Amino acid sequence: MVRPYAVKGKKRKTREEKYDRDEEAGEHKKLGKPNPKSGPGVIFILEKASLEIGKVGKTEQLLNSDEHANFLRKKGKNPAHYRPDILHQALLMVLDSPINKAGRLRCVYVKTEDGKLIEIKPYVRIPRTFKRFSGVMLQLLQKLSISAVGKREKLMRMIKNPVTQYLPVNSRKVGLSYSSEKLVSIRNYVAAAENNTDLVFVVGAMAHGKVETDYTDDFVSICSYPLSAAYCITMICQALAGKWNIL
Amino acid sequence: MAKTKSGRNAIAMKHQSPKPNLFATKSPRQSRSDDQNNTKETTTKKKKKSKLGPKAMAMKVQPPKPNPFETIWSRRKFDVLGKKRKGEERRVGLARSQAIEKRKKTLLKEYEQSGKSSVFVDKRIGEQNDELDEFDKAIRRTQRERLLKQNRKSKYNLSDGEEDDFEFQSLGALSQRDDFEDDMLPDDEEEDGVETAKKSYHKQNLLDQDLIEGNENKHKSDKERYAEMILKSKYHKAEKSKEKDENKDLMEELDKKFTSVIASKALTNKSISTEYMKKHEEKSDSYDKLERELAMERRAQPSNRTKTPEEIAQEEREQLERLEEERQKRMLPTDDHSDDDSEDAEKPSSLRPRSISGDDLGDSFSLEEEPRTKKGWVDKILQRKDASDSESEGDDCDSSEDSESPDDDGDEKSDEDNSEGERDLLNKDWEQSDDDNLDIDLDEKDEEDDSEENDMDDNAYEKEMEPRELEKLKKKKPVQASKIDGKSLDAKKMPANKQFSTQSDLPYLIEAPKSIEELEALLDNLCNSDIALIIHRIRASNAIKLAAENKKKMQVFYGLLLQYFATLANKKPLNLELLNLLVKPLMEMSMETPYFAAVCARERILRTRTKFCETVKNPENSCWPASKTLFLLRLWSLIFPCSDFRHVVMTPAIFLMCEYLMRCPILSGRDVAVGSFLCSILLSITKQSRKFCPEAVSFLQILLMAAIERNPKSNKDSEIDHLMEIKAPEPLLYIHEHIDQIDPLNFLTIMDLPEDSSFFTSNKFRSSVLVTVIETLRGYVSSYEGFSSFPEIFLPISTLVLELAEQENMPSALTDKFKEVAQFIKTKAEEHCMQRRPLQMRKQKPVALKMLNPSFEEKFVKGRDYDPDRERVERKKLKKLLTQETKGAVRELRKDNYFLHEVKARDKALMEEERAEKYGNMRLFLQEQEHAMKSGQLGKGRKRRR
Repeated sequence: MVRPYAVKGKKRKTREEKYDRDEEAGEHKKLGKPNPKSGPGVIFILEKASLEIGKVGKTEQLLNSDEHANFLRKKGKNPAHYRPDILHQALLMVLDSPINKAGRLRCVYVKTEDGKLIEIKPYVRIPRTFKRFSGVMLQLLQKLSISAVGKREKLMRMIKNPVTQYLPVNSRKVGLSYSSEKLVSIRNYVAAAENNTDLVFVVGAMAHGKVETDYTDDFVSICSYPLSAAYCITMICQALAGKWNIL
Repeated sequence: MAKTKSGRNAIAMKHQSPKPNLFATKSPRQSRSDDQNNTKETTTKKKKKSKLGPKAMAMKVQPPKPNPFETIWSRRKFDVLGKKRKGEERRVGLARSQAIEKRKKTLLKEYEQSGKSSVFVDKRIGEQNDELDEFDKAIRRTQRERLLKQNRKSKYNLSDGEEDDFEFQSLGALSQRDDFEDDMLPDDEEEDGVETAKKSYHKQNLLDQDLIEGNENKHKSDKERYAEMILKSKYHKAEKSKEKDENKDLMEELDKKFTSVIASKALTNKSISTEYMKKHEEKSDSYDKLERELAMERRAQPSNRTKTPEEIAQEEREQLERLEEERQKRMLPTDDHSDDDSEDAEKPSSLRPRSISGDDLGDSFSLEEEPRTKKGWVDKILQRKDASDSESEGDDCDSSEDSESPDDDGDEKSDEDNSEGERDLLNKDWEQSDDDNLDIDLDEKDEEDDSEENDMDDNAYEKEMEPRELEKLKKKKPVQASKIDGKSLDAKKMPANKQFSTQSDLPYLIEAPKSIEELEALLDNLCNSDIALIIHRIRASNAIKLAAENKKKMQVFYGLLLQYFATLANKKPLNLELLNLLVKPLMEMSMETPYFAAVCARERILRTRTKFCETVKNPENSCWPASKTLFLLRLWSLIFPCSDFRHVVMTPAIFLMCEYLMRCPILSGRDVAVGSFLCSILLSITKQSRKFCPEAVSFLQILLMAAIERNPKSNKDSEIDHLMEIKAPEPLLYIHEHIDQIDPLNFLTIMDLPEDSSFFTSNKFRSSVLVTVIETLRGYVSSYEGFSSFPEIFLPISTLVLELAEQENMPSALTDKFKEVAQFIKTKAEEHCMQRRPLQMRKQKPVALKMLNPSFEEKFVKGRDYDPDRERVERKKLKKLLTQETKGAVRELRKDNYFLHEVKARDKALMEEERAEKYGNMRLFLQEQEHAMKSGQLGKGRKRRR
């Protein structure tokens, strides 16, 4: 089909977008993309997140211990293991941190309990309420990707394992666990890290157990008490913000 | 046990080859122990294996091994807890082998047939159907035979008795033809039909039952069924007609009874003549009529219950609160107030910038729809004005031409002020022209036929106007309001008292006057209370609510009354009481017709302004407004809401007053008085809305400067302040001598005084003017105290005031007041200065990463398309189905081909083998011959024999 001559003005492909122009003009960074000039970044990997779909009644739902305890018990599962809210909190902490706002967060990877790997872009606005979050995750697990409102850009998607193929080459991968013998102050630890390498933090997003990964260079514990994933991430983010002088 | 059994079986199988029947009978028992998938192939395999020898004994013990590929189950990709899937029990390998089996049955057969020119088809009746036994097959065959005989050709053949006999013998109760032919019914005979139908139906039923008993499994033919249906329908018809007859009888009986009731006149009080009773049809008519009457009778309407006084009070309070809220809203500026781009005000709220907190839910939650600021009636009027401006411009020109000559007169008049009659005439003239103009306006309106719209506006305005006015009267100007109220009350009371005693000669119904002459003739030589009474009666007898045309009348009357008010205000011995009496009806009437009132006021303001522009050109003239203008301004400030941010009348009125204050030169004491009066009006107007009037403040400053003794050394006659030149006037207010008592000033008496009266130069006048000035200033200070520019506005004035306070002859009361005000200004200014912060560069905040909201469905169901375009969804679905089917077909075809190819390859291989064998045999034979020939022998045997 040939488009009639000058019927609707410019082609949609070549038409410029009207909105956000001032921002683009004012800021050198493109919309949504982190600024490449801003220096080394950080990547978070949330291991053993419990994201599992169950068919409860007639609808499929993201299983959590609050709502589906009976269902899980009936199926012979332990409800205490189904805690997607941990992941929700952890993601909120990562994506709301000033280091993300400053564009230093490169990416967040989530590895689920059953081995699925999810990539989450740093400019996603995670739904604030848990119900909506579980809606997003349900759709993500079923459709394998979530795009932005009004855009084709994919904000979250399921990707192939292993996660190491997506990590920068000379990055320093740090695993965090309460069980580790090496107790460090995260502030000093981060400050001691090299300035030009990207940092990868592997944090567990599960209720019980420990992360077992073979790709981490180091395995540290940053507090003498067991921490929640969200708070652990907050501590790391604060330490990084201090290091990079992000206020 | 089993072992021996199977062993025997195996032995039997071993030797079975000559008698296969033995095996056939035993096989079912064996197959029971086998797997379901046991195919022929496996059995044949077994057969072969069993021939192999003693090993077979052990083999027989176990069931044959299933195909290992068939045990593979389909794998799930994404396991969902608690979900059962349809195709869960799918075994890929099994399906595959089944498909191959199927192909063997169909495709292979076809392939085998393909080379053959003819096919043997078994078309024997009932041979294909395994369920039928021999007897049934025979029956079918005979049926077929009979059918063939009943062809059209053979219809007229005479039947042989032999055949019929055979028929009955063979079929017996199965005969179908008898049932149908015997019970053929005559359709045309209706009356008899009913009975006969019933009978025959019963008969048929019996027959049917017999038949059913006879052979239940035999199903009826079409003819039989049709006959049954017809019989049934006839039976039902008969039933129905019988019922109808019964109903008819009942109705007749009822009708008879009803006539008797009517005759007894129980239902109606109307006498029903006997004629009606006799005539059947008409009687029924009367019944209908009666019924309709009863049905249409109006029912009692439910009404609201009467409210308790508390409820009424509550409602009133709510109403007042609502009105106050509306007023507050109108006081604030809406987004954009220029008429041209009023669309900006209607900008959707979403476009307005709105700060979002980090915890905002963001995405699709938008509960707070900002209520759009409604356009006030002011804007409506403004819009209408814009529309009508172009039309009325022509008229304006005309009227201005008309009023030009009076204006010229006016110029002269200002010189010779004492010629009162001329002035009146002049006033009358331009008022008249004004009215003419208004009349034209009215006519135009009539032409435009938009009086309805007008009405609506008016009503709406009226509703909101009334309570506000009352409120204002009570709050803002308690003194004056109470005065007015008191007066009006008096005015009301007085006529009530006098009505019957002395003034009974006044007519009760008074037609609204059409011109000022009529009005003056009406009101001439009457006392104030009578005038009020007359006006009241005119309004009562021509109330708008009474008739539609009264609106126009009242509008004319309103204009006349306003004109009358203006003329009264200009009269030298001022009739204040009458003026006060007039205020009330004027206010009420402008509430009734607010649009018209606004038009009148605007017209007058326009006129006054043009006149003022003319007079101000001559600097020697005193161009301060006449008392008429002052009174009108005051009246409008009472009638119209002053606190609105923008108002059709009040805004121009304020501008006009400010212009007076700025442009009129202060030449005499009278000017000072008029100016300070204007200032106080402005204060009262702007107090609530805190509008800033720099003109009034600077005018007060000028007046204060006029009170300072002019020193020759301070040579700053003029100073630039606030970008305005403030020129110190003559020391008109300088107090020369000491005064011990300060009288409050009566403005009206001052207005009555001639301009060159000695009172204006007296110290008494000056001191009292100073008191009013300082009081007004205090009012301005307290109303503007919230402004951030407060120190800049008032600090120069405070120094001035302090300077005044230290003057010698200043009375002590005044000094105190001066000091008080100066102190007040100082403290306020200091407060403001304290709050001020030093200028600093605006901080450039770093721009945060722009976050994007994920799009997802609230209740996502896998596989559903969430495209809002239904058509596209359908298309997509169909396309998907199509590709799926195509792929399936392609797959099947490919498998078919593969299968055929395999078969062909096998055949080929077989043929090749055969050929090779043949070839080998031949070759062998030839080789042998060759060998024999070469060796000189003809064969092996011969040699040996030899």
